[in-house]
Amino acid sequence: MTFYAGIDAGSRTIKIVLLRAGEVIARGIADQGIAQEAEIERLYARVLQEAEVERDAVRAVATGYARNLARGAEKTVTEITCHARGVARLAPEARTVVEIGGQDSKLLWLEPGGLARDFAMNDRCAAGSGRFLETVAARLSVPLPELGALAARSTAPATINSTCVVFAETEIIGLLAAGTSPQDIAAGIQGSLARRVAVLAGGQIVPPVYFTGGVALVPGMGAALEEAFGCSVNIPPDPQYTGALGAALLAEETGRITHGYNACRSS
Amino acid sequence: MNECQCCRQEYAADVTPAAWFARMIPNCLAYATEAKAQGRPIVGIMCEYTPRELILAAGGAPVCLCGGSAKTVELAERDLPNNLCPLIKSTYGYHLLKSNPFLEMADLIVAETTCDGKKKMCELLAQTRPLHVLALPQKENDADARESWYRELGKLKAELEERFNVTITDEALRDASRVMNRERALRRGIAGLMKADCPPLTGRQVLDLKSSISGLPADFAQYERIISDGDARAGRPRSGSSRVLLTGVPLPHGAERVLELIEEHGGLVVCQENCTGVRPLMDDVDLDHPDPLRAIADKYYHLPCSVMTPNTRRMDLLRKLAAEYHAECIVELVWQACLTYDVEAYFVRKLAEEELRIPYLRIKTDYSPADSARIAVRIQALFETVQGRKVAP
Repeated sequence: MTFYAGIDAGSRTIKIVLLRAGEVIARGIADQGIAQEAEIERLYARVLQEAEVERDAVRAVATGYARNLARGAEKTVTEITCHARGVARLAPEARTVVEIGGQDSKLLWLEPGGLARDFAMNDRCAAGSGRFLETVAARLSVPLPELGALAARSTAPATINSTCVVFAETEIIGLLAAGTSPQDIAAGIQGSLARRVAVLAGGQIVPPVYFTGGVALVPGMGAALEEAFGCSVNIPPDPQYTGALGAALLAEETGRITHGYNACRSS
Repeated sequence: MNECQCCRQEYAADVTPAAWFARMIPNCLAYATEAKAQGRPIVGIMCEYTPRELILAAGGAPVCLCGGSAKTVELAERDLPNNLCPLIKSTYGYHLLKSNPFLEMADLIVAETTCDGKKKMCELLAQTRPLHVLALPQKENDADARESWYRELGKLKAELEERFNVTITDEALRDASRVMNRERALRRGIAGLMKADCPPLTGRQVLDLKSSISGLPADFAQYERIISDGDARAGRPRSGSSRVLLTGVPLPHGAERVLELIEEHGGLVVCQENCTGVRPLMDDVDLDHPDPLRAIADKYYHLPCSVMTPNTRRMDLLRKLAAEYHAECIVELVWQACLTYDVEAYFVRKLAEEELRIPYLRIKTDYSPADSARIAVRIQALFETVQGRKVAP
């Protein structure tokens, strides 16, 4: 029996999904640390142990920005292709995927079959990312998971114009000084992030839209995206595992995506 | 053409083409130094619209001054806006630092009214350096515009004659056109090696096979050698890599980062539709035209830069190149704040996706390596899609 693992070594967390005959039999999540290689290894060992699966029986694909540090993986694939594949499994009808992770946000446009037709990423700044929300939560002295609940109590979301994390923080300090309530600031920041992602999309939102990545777990973010996009936004179950699921599915289809180098030119 | 020490070296077959062009800057410097010592003028050019033929016919050595170094950008921002194309800033930075020997040697700089940034930057250069501006009209298929361009070249000819005290005869223009036609034909031949299923070179290697100074006899001998060597090496079955048609802005010496990222992450740049690639090589000057200056004007006016409006010739060229080079995807490089390429990217994307039905990726960046990791991810994902499409039903 062969098992297939997807290891998504992201900037803030590591996610692992284990498949048998196309079905998820185990999974795990852990915070990313300084010793990234060891953190990935520890989680991988834990997931295999919980599933009572021998390492030799597993073929693994790694993705995420630390994908080259996953020792257990025989191949690496970009998070773009993995998220496309993962969403296509959960929702074959999906045409646009918004993935907001710890340090970046991506938009993927899918073609039938789950390949990325096109994609956009924030290239040079962290404005449209989970890190943006973390900074805001810290400034408002609320734990990140409670930021959404706080925002939900807003009656008049504040206008946050800065698209830079650092400048937005300065803007928040100004708003707090002016007496704006934390809930209005929290709601304002969600709207700001959603508009930032809409700009990244360049007006090319094709429904159905699916929202994945860790930030999809923050209450209220889906609604903020719906308002920015002007269409409904679906969040699949366990949205932070989509990339790992895609990687595991690709491990199962090994050979479908070749990791091409110019073998023919080397001599 | 006068022969100098560096040109005689060429015939020594022990210098391989790769080794020869690895020394491109020292080669050109030796050539320019000798030319200057012989009393030949060094004329700096800023753009492929400037006909090197006119400079050669005046006995001059035409040298490209486009900057490709990230190191000179910071100083340039003292006078230029942050949000300006890095090529313009780098070129200007060299001017401030006085560290481009060719710029320092130049007896004249020819600039053009191609993009606004370059045009205005050249006004700053002109404060301390001799500069002649060619006003480039921008309507693609317009008889008046072409006529105006012809007259502009007439003015450049008059300036060269007066400044360097020479007479540019029709015969000299034809001779120079013959030299440049030969250079274009040879470089087209090298580019054409990449049409093979398994090309003998990488795109990165092809990019290096040219010189800042045109018309060097030593280069011609090496070009011929590359073509005969390349023909012998081509033809093996290919595997793995995705064939890329790179289009957009030029990659001046030192600014090869994006091409390197493409080829380090599973791509092979089989064709470069830009001003450091095949774009200026596609058309030749008609040697049989009764008015050689008119023939030169016609060839250069048809260069499909994004400053032209509309720029249908570029779309036609991309169609032709994508077919001839069997491109599997198009990567468009746009330097930050290059408005004309950035806007025109709309049509290139449409052409790729709707007509050619191949994936398209636009990379907008500058000379700093800060976004290299991000660009690499996008490039890899593009190739995963290219490869995935091959096996998808």
